[in-house]
Amino acid sequence: MSAVDFYATTLLVYFGVDVLAAWGLNLQYGLYGMYNFAFILFQSAGAYTAAVLTLGAPTHQFGAQQYFAGAALPFPLPIVIAGLVAGVLGLVIALIVGRGMRSDYEAIVTFVIAVMALLTVNAIIPLFDGQAGLSLVPQPLAGTLRLSAGAYAWVYVAFAALVCLASYVVMHRLMASPLGRAIRAVRENPSGAAALGVNASWCRVVVSVLGAGLAGVSGALLVEFIGTWSPGSWSYAETLVIFSAIIVGGVGNSIGVLIGVFVTQIVFAEGSRFLPTSLPPNLVGSLQWMIIGVMTLAFLWFRPQGIVPERRYCVPAGRDGSSGERGAAARKTGPVPSSSLVRGRGDS
Amino acid sequence: MLIVPAIGFGLATAAYVALAAVGFTLQAGVSNIFNFAYGDIMITAAFVAYAVNAAGGTLWELLIVGAVTGAVVSLAMNRLIFRRFVRHGVNRFGMLIVTLWSGILLQNLLLAVFGPKFFTLQVSSGRLFTFFGTRGILLTSVQLISIGIAMAAVLIVAAGLRFTRVGMAMRALATNPDLAQTSGVPARRILDYTWIVSGIFCGLGGVVLALATGAFEQTTGEDFLVIIFAATVLGGVGRPVGAAVASLVLGVAMEVSALYIPPNLKELAAFALLVVVLIVRPGGLFSLAKEGAEVAVV
Repeated sequence: MSAVDFYATTLLVYFGVDVLAAWGLNLQYGLYGMYNFAFILFQSAGAYTAAVLTLGAPTHQFGAQQYFAGAALPFPLPIVIAGLVAGVLGLVIALIVGRGMRSDYEAIVTFVIAVMALLTVNAIIPLFDGQAGLSLVPQPLAGTLRLSAGAYAWVYVAFAALVCLASYVVMHRLMASPLGRAIRAVRENPSGAAALGVNASWCRVVVSVLGAGLAGVSGALLVEFIGTWSPGSWSYAETLVIFSAIIVGGVGNSIGVLIGVFVTQIVFAEGSRFLPTSLPPNLVGSLQWMIIGVMTLAFLWFRPQGIVPERRYCVPAGRDGSSGERGAAARKTGPVPSSSLVRGRGDS
Repeated sequence: MLIVPAIGFGLATAAYVALAAVGFTLQAGVSNIFNFAYGDIMITAAFVAYAVNAAGGTLWELLIVGAVTGAVVSLAMNRLIFRRFVRHGVNRFGMLIVTLWSGILLQNLLLAVFGPKFFTLQVSSGRLFTFFGTRGILLTSVQLISIGIAMAAVLIVAAGLRFTRVGMAMRALATNPDLAQTSGVPARRILDYTWIVSGIFCGLGGVVLALATGAFEQTTGEDFLVIIFAATVLGGVGRPVGAAVASLVLGVAMEVSALYIPPNLKELAAFALLVVVLIVRPGGLFSLAKEGAEVAVV
């Protein structure tokens, strides 16, 4: 595989993976307004699940990597199961932070969960080989396809793109559906939505499970390609980078989020190229983080709606937009009356 | 029995948890901003103390340097970053993102200056004191000093909030910032005081934490933040005595649980307590500010 192929395919797979994860977080935060600082756990759960289900049963030989359970399932299954496992974790998180927890406590509890999960995986080595993490995960279908390494990498990029496209279609349909409108209504005005009969708990469960599932699939896609996953890949700061991508790109807008991921990834992948080469390596790493941080703060200050803002979902209220007779009449016969929120509940 | 010595370790742990948590709870209670950069300010103080220590500073000098660093960094962050973003209209969740990123900026600044390795403060831990017999509680003089400072900190903050005019103004701002300002509370100055006082305890806590953990690195403060959160939420946001009691419970729970589970998992005890309490009472145990109190815009 040529260096260019290697560089391009790795970057593209990372891009697809990050976009999937950011879309997942955008469902939770952008669409519903869930403050989840434990988001990276879903990606991690997906990655570990896929790795363990691809590696086969652990050998228990001296010096071999240790992990819990293990199987060698055929190709699409590890990725699918990874999504499901992450989805279940999403359900658990939704139930923990549910029940009207104060918004900043929600952020704190999820932050604590993320730190504690990292601590646990690091400390209990038989779980996923602790700090060292899992490695040598075989690439799916590499034996059956019999392609050169470069061609295989491009096939994998196409596969990742396909997964992204399918996820986009599903996500887009959800966001445009009555249920999606109901979820957005809960975000804008929880008590108003509740008064119209929207079940906020159900909305939270839907976004949490779907968002987590997307993140789980993203983690699985990544680990099946690069073959390794360790605690270094999922510190709480990684969640923050995804939040930054969403804020930069545009909260609640899928295309905006894609652009935001592109921008943050350019900083990480290419940012070092524009720094003087005389800098010590740890300074380069620090500077990349600092650039993302400063960029996020700058966007919060100058353009909190992001590069591509969320679409306004307006209900036409008469031609002049007034609330007079004609306006009221138009609202009654208008195409999307506000009562469609109630239909959102009926749908679910 | 190992329980009694474990309780002794718990007391020592509770001391630095309480010291840090008192500063955190005061600032979080008064300004209604959860400062995720708090742990990073702590560790910044520890790094400055490390530099002073390398130049031959003694324990007391390190503590003073830590307190001053904490106060200065804390005030600077509020003036230069946090207050401006609040005035700019960034909401509560946005402020969490702002404080988190500020903390990471600080961490990476330290990483760039000091480099990626572990650091140790070279301070003799002093005489060993035993209580309740030779199988009882063992504490070094450094640990006793930390316990003393922590108790003094709790009493000063609690009494200050209760009895002084500045303390009353702080409580007023916590409860209803708009009403407090229309009643003539100089909100900007009072909030500055809050960040300074909180910064002093933050810096002291950082130095004591660095002494207690032995080896520290840039992310040590951020990891420790989890326990501060637990102490703050369990004790009630804005309640120094509550934070102290919660720190005691957490400290003893962590050290005693270390007898039964792997010691590097002892923080899980703190975590379990926090999550269970928040599931049972999603609004926390008690709070200085009422539910949904606003962030003071000054």
